[in-house]
Amino acid sequence: MLPDDISTIETTVRAVLRDVLGLSEARAAALRDDTLLFGAMPELDSMAVAGVLTELEERLGILIEDDEVDGEMLETFGALVRFAATKAPR
Amino acid sequence: MIDHYDWRGGREAMLRFGPETGPIVVIAMPLFEEANRTRAFVVTLCRALAARGVASALPDLPGQGESLVPLETCSIFDVAEGIERASKADWEAGRALYSVAIRSGAILDKLALFSGRWHFAPQTGPELLRDLKRVKQASIGARVLLGDLWYFDVAKPEGVEDQHVEIAGNRISTSLLTALSVYEPWRQDDGGHVRTVRLDTDRKPADRHVPGTPLWRRAEPSNDPALAALLADDIAAWIARCGG
Repeated sequence: MLPDDISTIETTVRAVLRDVLGLSEARAAALRDDTLLFGAMPELDSMAVAGVLTELEERLGILIEDDEVDGEMLETFGALVRFAATKAPR
Repeated sequence: MIDHYDWRGGREAMLRFGPETGPIVVIAMPLFEEANRTRAFVVTLCRALAARGVASALPDLPGQGESLVPLETCSIFDVAEGIERASKADWEAGRALYSVAIRSGAILDKLALFSGRWHFAPQTGPELLRDLKRVKQASIGARVLLGDLWYFDVAKPEGVEDQHVEIAGNRISTSLLTALSVYEPWRQDDGGHVRTVRLDTDRKPADRHVPGTPLWRRAEPSNDPALAALLADDIAAWIARCGG
């Protein structure tokens, strides 16, 4: 995968978290590779996870199976970006 | 103005906006939780339409919102009948009728006699069913993975009627969920004018893509007056092109 693709995916994941969780621009911009998500970010409860996954599917044109969803992929912002990158069409 | 309409199952409330003559749009809200999340936005849209001289009616649908009819007793036809009955008086008065459907509202505007159907970010029945499954899965955790027949009780004795499924506080009948698995929005080939508008973050085809936020995904209801104004312009111009 080209660096440009990763950058696009990261921008998309950031925008999805901002739009679905209602984060301010400043909070969304402050998300770093090691920023903790599930369990650390109060807005990201299990219901919100469903919205984030569906919105990611729509914006990236990918399909996420329920058995692929686990705590690890949602642990940090970086982990979620890497997961999305493995699903995105090359 | 608060109005009402009658259907087989009782009486439902309906908000009216804008002029008492001329074309009128009947709003088909999304089903279930997304209706709560988009209601403030839809009312803003109705007011923006009124400011452009376009009348609108926003009906409570059977089993949805403030309706006194329990959702678990409703079929998809009961809910869609709400749209048809809500538009009846204006149809009889000879007004030009259009639907404006948001998200899964796009599968509810089939029974009424509309000159045209305008759909915003339309969601098909199977797409909604997939969302509901994901929400149900989130509520039970990852210990048990829901299968394809997740909304049926396969262990129940033969002859016993299927029960409803509770999904994020909504009790939905298995027959309604089954209907969703095959329900698609009205298309151009089905007749009349059809226009589809989507957010520019949505990759699916549309007549127009517009900037804005997917308010229907927000846990806390929110609003987007700039998007409402943009959509109201689009709807008003489209109705004029359709012949008013």
